[in-house]
Amino acid sequence: MRKTGLILLSLLVVVLVFSVPAFAHFQLIYTEESALEKGEEVDLKLVFTHPFEAGHTMDMGMPLEFGVVHKEKKKDLRSKLTPIMFESLTNKGKAYEASYKLRGMGDYIFYVIPEPYYEGSEDIYIQQITKVILNVAGAPTDWDAEIELPVEIVPLDKPYGLWAGNVFRGIVKVNGKPVPYCEIEVEYLNHDIVGNKFSKTEKVEAPQDAFVTLTIKANKDGEFTFGIPCAGWWGFAALGAGGDLTYEGKELSQDAVIWVQAKEMKKFFGQIQNERE
Amino acid sequence: MRRIVIVLTACVVLGCFLMLQAPWVFGHTPLCSCWDNEDGTVTCEGGFSDGSSGTGIAMRVVDKKSGKVLVEGKMDEDSEFTFDKPDMPYKVQYDAGPGHLVEIDGDDITE
Repeated sequence: MRKTGLILLSLLVVVLVFSVPAFAHFQLIYTEESALEKGEEVDLKLVFTHPFEAGHTMDMGMPLEFGVVHKEKKKDLRSKLTPIMFESLTNKGKAYEASYKLRGMGDYIFYVIPEPYYEGSEDIYIQQITKVILNVAGAPTDWDAEIELPVEIVPLDKPYGLWAGNVFRGIVKVNGKPVPYCEIEVEYLNHDIVGNKFSKTEKVEAPQDAFVTLTIKANKDGEFTFGIPCAGWWGFAALGAGGDLTYEGKELSQDAVIWVQAKEMKKFFGQIQNERE
Repeated sequence: MRRIVIVLTACVVLGCFLMLQAPWVFGHTPLCSCWDNEDGTVTCEGGFSDGSSGTGIAMRVVDKKSGKVLVEGKMDEDSEFTFDKPDMPYKVQYDAGPGHLVEIDGDDITE
């Protein structure tokens, strides 16, 4: 009887441990501002984390590729990467940072192809190929370009020119071809990043777990649309966009990630009024 | 009557030609950004909000106080214009036509 009780208790512990909600992993290329008035030096942080909850930050290895595309020219920036420790609300994880001087008008697409990360709880590898697009002086040059990543989300709306309340649309692609009905996880960067850590203050409280990681699906042509409810950074991760892949004998989920930044229009109404007064 | 038709046709052809030559007539916003090369020169880049080039657009560098033109030129084939940095306070003018003048204060032009 005691033995049965112990077994049941063990089972309960196992169930409880594995029923903790698995929030979405997101590869981040973070910078404060995506729409810049003029060319300047920007600081970028590459962090593999859980952006809504500012939760567990995974250790990153040296990225396989990190670079920028500007006016159709690709530039390798791996030599600019410096390792850092990034502090989440629960731990510290290995991450990277880089500074890059933007000179001249137009779009700058920063991208990273990380080393696959082994996720023990799922016994799979995850590789989130990520991009973020910055703009100088409002001149559009590359934002809608495909930059020949193995998997990528090609934007249909300027990712740096969004008001809160706009929609963001994109096409999920693998080797340049659309991925039909791909599952896409969407998360809000719910804590500011200050230095090399998340701020403790959360911007919004999720009413229920379904609101932490929002899930949408692409249509038959790989296109998706998401209505942006509030200002800030929003991440989109097209899961398994790379198809059935393996890495070191295990399943590899090769995901395409893009980050977009929306602005609160009311905030700028205020600025005009202040200037008039 | 025939003369009127010829004149109207000529006007339409001329109008189409001007529209093709001048992107700003479509209402695109002119854009210009400058930076200090730290070698005594300044480079400006121009364009329009639809991504079109600013090649050929008139550029002026003027004395901030008197308005006197110090340097005059045009955006080159790369839509850039480089000039020697004046010793006096100055402004850069990217002149994309009436009502489409972008002015940049020299004090705001940094490295």
